[in-house]
Amino acid sequence: MSTAPTPDRLRQLLALEQSERALAWAQTGAGRASLYVLAFAAALPLLSVWASAICVTAAWAATQFSSQRVRILLLASWGFTLFEAARGDNDFAEKIQYVLDQEQFVLLRAEWLAVGALVLLMGLLWLGLQHAIRQPAGLFARRPLVCMLALEAALLVLCAPQLNHGLVRVLLWSLVVVLTPYVWFFPLAIVDLRGREASSPAMQLAVQRPFWSPMYLPFGKGAAYLRRHFSPLAREQAITQVKGVKLLLWANFLLLISQALTWVFSEQLALPRLIDAIDAHLEGHPLPIATGWTVLVYGTFRYALQIAIWAHLFIGLARMAGYRLPRGSWRPLESRSLMEYFNRSHFYFKEILVDLFFIPAFFRAFRQHPRLRMFFATFMAAGAGNALWHFMDDIQLVAVEGFGGALSSFSSYLFYSLVLAVGVGLSQVRATMGYKPATTFAARLYAFFFVWSFVVLLRVFSDGTRDHSFSQRLDFLLSLFGLHLGNFL
Amino acid sequence: MNHPALDTLRKHLQDALQQHGDSQPLADDDSLFLSGRLDSFSMMNLILFLETTFQLRFSDLEFDVEKVDSVNAIMALMQAH
Repeated sequence: MSTAPTPDRLRQLLALEQSERALAWAQTGAGRASLYVLAFAAALPLLSVWASAICVTAAWAATQFSSQRVRILLLASWGFTLFEAARGDNDFAEKIQYVLDQEQFVLLRAEWLAVGALVLLMGLLWLGLQHAIRQPAGLFARRPLVCMLALEAALLVLCAPQLNHGLVRVLLWSLVVVLTPYVWFFPLAIVDLRGREASSPAMQLAVQRPFWSPMYLPFGKGAAYLRRHFSPLAREQAITQVKGVKLLLWANFLLLISQALTWVFSEQLALPRLIDAIDAHLEGHPLPIATGWTVLVYGTFRYALQIAIWAHLFIGLARMAGYRLPRGSWRPLESRSLMEYFNRSHFYFKEILVDLFFIPAFFRAFRQHPRLRMFFATFMAAGAGNALWHFMDDIQLVAVEGFGGALSSFSSYLFYSLVLAVGVGLSQVRATMGYKPATTFAARLYAFFFVWSFVVLLRVFSDGTRDHSFSQRLDFLLSLFGLHLGNFL
Repeated sequence: MNHPALDTLRKHLQDALQQHGDSQPLADDDSLFLSGRLDSFSMMNLILFLETTFQLRFSDLEFDVEKVDSVNAIMALMQAH
């Protein structure tokens, strides 16, 4: 008698990494080649052909030639970054181009400025590592994030058109653009150098924006975290790579859902994007309230889906390189508190905020007041760190709009960071006080609606675009409740 | 090893694991944070617990997750203080 597959049975069936036969096969030549082909095929819908080839080949080679692992990672990470910069495939050239246009340079190519600045930065980072090793008690070794932020701020000041013009400003700006993402990677290397089992400077450099995480957020954190999630044993690596391929395939499944949703909601139902709905409201042609809510809920869901796809892609590639990293997004719909939502949806973003903001604040401020101490440290991470990271993600706006303009267009996200920080902070304090969420169905349903209502409402302010002011977004949100900001002013 | 402090510590860690949906048994040499069973916020909760309950004092510059990664590691840390 056959029975229908239950979710548990299906999960057992898919748990290839627990099957000794599958693991033994994955360690054979044919198995390794098959994992490579599967990973490449799974990366293709998510990355360009070149990027897929470089990333999957580098990851695969790092596990096949373990004695050359550091060299392979170093070459792949910096080679990939330079390759993408030269082709204009990452955002460096685009951000440099703004200042090139302002300074009216037509002969200089933004792509080559990016490549030159990256080579210079690589040298500077190497010198920074050596400096931190030689002077472990120095300011840079003790406070790497503060020093990196101070350097970034100093360079930004020097890039002000009132201070510099022409080629000097273009060159300084190029350095600002390529330095910015490394502000979130490099402090992790310096912190690791304090430990007894620190990785080598070459390894630290190799995982600065590694090829599997070519963005502003360190998926997999730094060398210390990677070291702790790596096993040289062939069987362990086979498990990790199988899990990596599965995660890449899962990202493809989510991508299919995303495309299906686009077809239904955007192409067939012509549902506008959130920013278009705000525009329509501001132009005096608001959408019906029910449609507005649909836009907001759908936009939030699409965002959560996109975050999961990216996280699975990056972690899947890192697992192919042999690092058994936790997933970056893990069943966010099951979150029972705001803290849990932040942890489940944005695991590596939360981790970097904890390492660089929460821990320093936690160890230094309000030590005699446990609840205030926990709230303040959480606030510094989810509020200050979150806002700073996103402000720097759009650093080109400082050149385009000036510092005041960039800050002004950031007001909406600042509000989001503030509310999120208070919400997550209170959630964290409740957990510290021993509050445990009930596990009944009704309690879980209530928690689901509470958490996701909070997330959906805040999405109005956090969608990442800088085209609408805080008051315009607030007016749009109030309109979804049949209210208008003018009624309150 | 039987010790009131050890029981208190184990209970705190088991509660933290349960909050993370982890009902697996906890052995004294099991890795808590490096294995991913608990996250960094739980680690800070543990620090707070150790500071308030056992008067341990930590500093961010000397802090190393390996010092609090298992029951045994924490007990060694407490004995060293």
